[in-house]
Amino acid sequence: MKTRLPIAICFIFGIFTLIQYFTSDPTMALIYAEILDWMQIIFVFTLLVGVVTIFKIHSIKIARQQNNWPYSLLTIIGIAVMAILGFTRGTDWGSPFLWIFMNIQVPMQSTMFALLAFYVASAAYRGFRFRNKEAAVLLITAIIVMLGRVPLGHQISDFIPRVAEWIIDNPSVAAKRGILIGIGLGSITTALRVILGVERSYVGGK
Amino acid sequence: MTVETLVAAIFTIAIFSFLYKENPFYRAAEHILVGVSVGYYLVILVEETILSKVAKPLIYDRNLLVIIPAVLGLLMFARLSRNKGYIARIPLALLIGAGAGVSIPAMLWARVLKQMAASMLPLQTISGIIILVGVVSTLAYFYFSREQRGWFGYMAKTGTYFLMIFFGATFGYTVMSRVTLLIGRMEFLLYDFLGIIG
Amino acid sequence: MDLSRLDRRVIFVLMGLAVIIPILFNITTDVEITRDTLDIYNEIEDLESGEFVMISFDFEASSYPEMYPLALATLNHLFKKNLKVIGLALFSEGTAIGYTLLSEVAGRYGKQYGADYIYLGFRPQYVSAILGMGESIIKVFPEDYLKRPVEEYSEFSGLSGYDDLPLVVSIADGSMPIHWADYANARYQQKVAVACAAVMVTAFKPYFESGQLIGPAAGIKGAAEYEKLLKQRGIAHRRLFAQSTTHVFIIVMVIVANLAAFRGRRR
Repeated sequence: MKTRLPIAICFIFGIFTLIQYFTSDPTMALIYAEILDWMQIIFVFTLLVGVVTIFKIHSIKIARQQNNWPYSLLTIIGIAVMAILGFTRGTDWGSPFLWIFMNIQVPMQSTMFALLAFYVASAAYRGFRFRNKEAAVLLITAIIVMLGRVPLGHQISDFIPRVAEWIIDNPSVAAKRGILIGIGLGSITTALRVILGVERSYVGGK
Repeated sequence: MTVETLVAAIFTIAIFSFLYKENPFYRAAEHILVGVSVGYYLVILVEETILSKVAKPLIYDRNLLVIIPAVLGLLMFARLSRNKGYIARIPLALLIGAGAGVSIPAMLWARVLKQMAASMLPLQTISGIIILVGVVSTLAYFYFSREQRGWFGYMAKTGTYFLMIFFGATFGYTVMSRVTLLIGRMEFLLYDFLGIIG
Repeated sequence: MDLSRLDRRVIFVLMGLAVIIPILFNITTDVEITRDTLDIYNEIEDLESGEFVMISFDFEASSYPEMYPLALATLNHLFKKNLKVIGLALFSEGTAIGYTLLSEVAGRYGKQYGADYIYLGFRPQYVSAILGMGESIIKVFPEDYLKRPVEEYSEFSGLSGYDDLPLVVSIADGSMPIHWADYANARYQQKVAVACAAVMVTAFKPYFESGQLIGPAAGIKGAAEYEKLLKQRGIAHRRLFAQSTTHVFIIVMVIVANLAAFRGRRR
């Protein structure tokens, strides 16, 4: 029952949504729209489990005064402040909730990602070498694209952006297309295996 | 300089301080970020979905049908229990099954048939030849059920070069993206915070 | 000193200078408009005043510096054309950012919330949200971000599904446009235009070449091209000089490192 019921549910909903694609029956369309709604509602609770888990982990750290517990206190305070402000003062334009989001979360998060520019430069300097033909092709392409996608490339020569555009529109597209077709075929196979109960990893099976 | 600019600048510099080495200033900022992000997420999830799609239809519209997904959703919390965690498989099975069912025609159409059709360009053009050769050789590269020797090996090797071009182009664009983010943050510090250039 | 093994903090300092110094010069550079950005511009330009356009803020706070100029340029165009804008987000962080941006730009054009534009808010599980809107937008979003029933807005109450939307614009930093193509375009033949982060261009390109998606206006250069098409010179133009010089800096660094490594191997 612990595995059979979920596998049966997976099969029923999977087959229904698959068959519905090929029919124009209004009743099936209504049920299909309802199922899509249910998916959203259930998914929210999945995300809420994550929120509760983070709260739990940091709370335990504080309660047991584990290593670096004062930092966990900052996290809990952050969660509490946002939640209280959001639920009591709203999320509209000019609200404290939006203020904290735009002036604390957005700057910090975008700065975190901006750090990557330094690491990309460092990795490129320390790791990118013309070791063999494949690496040479990769590096030369990267250089052409980097020059071609900024105005400076155009100022050096009209040829550079044209070559960069040709590379992106032709060989790069061809490679990505091959990857996409492979992923598409793999996804279809996996989806069929999941619906038919062959793939059972989500119920703890092999 | 406004309060908003000052607050944003303090946190920005705290995150940038990681470049020198990890420090308490950075760690504090990081943990505040986690807390604020999770709190934001919680409010948005509850306000945008729970209230508008469960609570209000149930209480004001007397739509009893929403009880089913709400109960199924609540079953997800069983994951937090050591012994009753298996109950969460039921709503998970619905999500996975329905998701798999809608994805099959989508993947087949959008990622296989449409992409294959787009690869079949007129072979009188260089583009047409490059695209076809590139797609086929890339697929050959990823086909591991056959030994990559002889003509098949040459095809797979060709695929390698197409992939290197793809990765090179991707790297070029990645650099572009990350540098833009850095320029954005530096502009904020120089213009808005320090007021160096108007 | 082995140049090929420079301390990374030296590289960080050089990188920082490579970005800061050009910014201090405050130089605005011109751009050539590419076919990709022109495609998305023309698609919006061909719409009639009063037609609906859905704009989906599918990006996170981490890409804000890159996506802001793109979102700004796109919204400027939509409001200039007097289109009825329906905003939403399929990423939670895009929710607040989208509402802030929409309100900011709409205010500059004197647009009224509820009459000229609305903001539907956020829905998780983007697959079911995208597919659900194909059946009924109001079923997926019975209320807007301000918690008012969408049916109360007379200009937007008649919305059914994608049939009422000549165009969806996805402003994305990740793979969301691919899902728009996989579900909205594949099943409902919905036209989807994309303004995206530069890092995603190579991943999306097959979809543009096959006609499943329109565009893309990509990265800071795409934003600058769009500004030029709108006869503006904004943030994107200003940042391009620093972008150019930093790219050259990284290329020079890679060449220097390789020459140093080559010399070291020869010894």
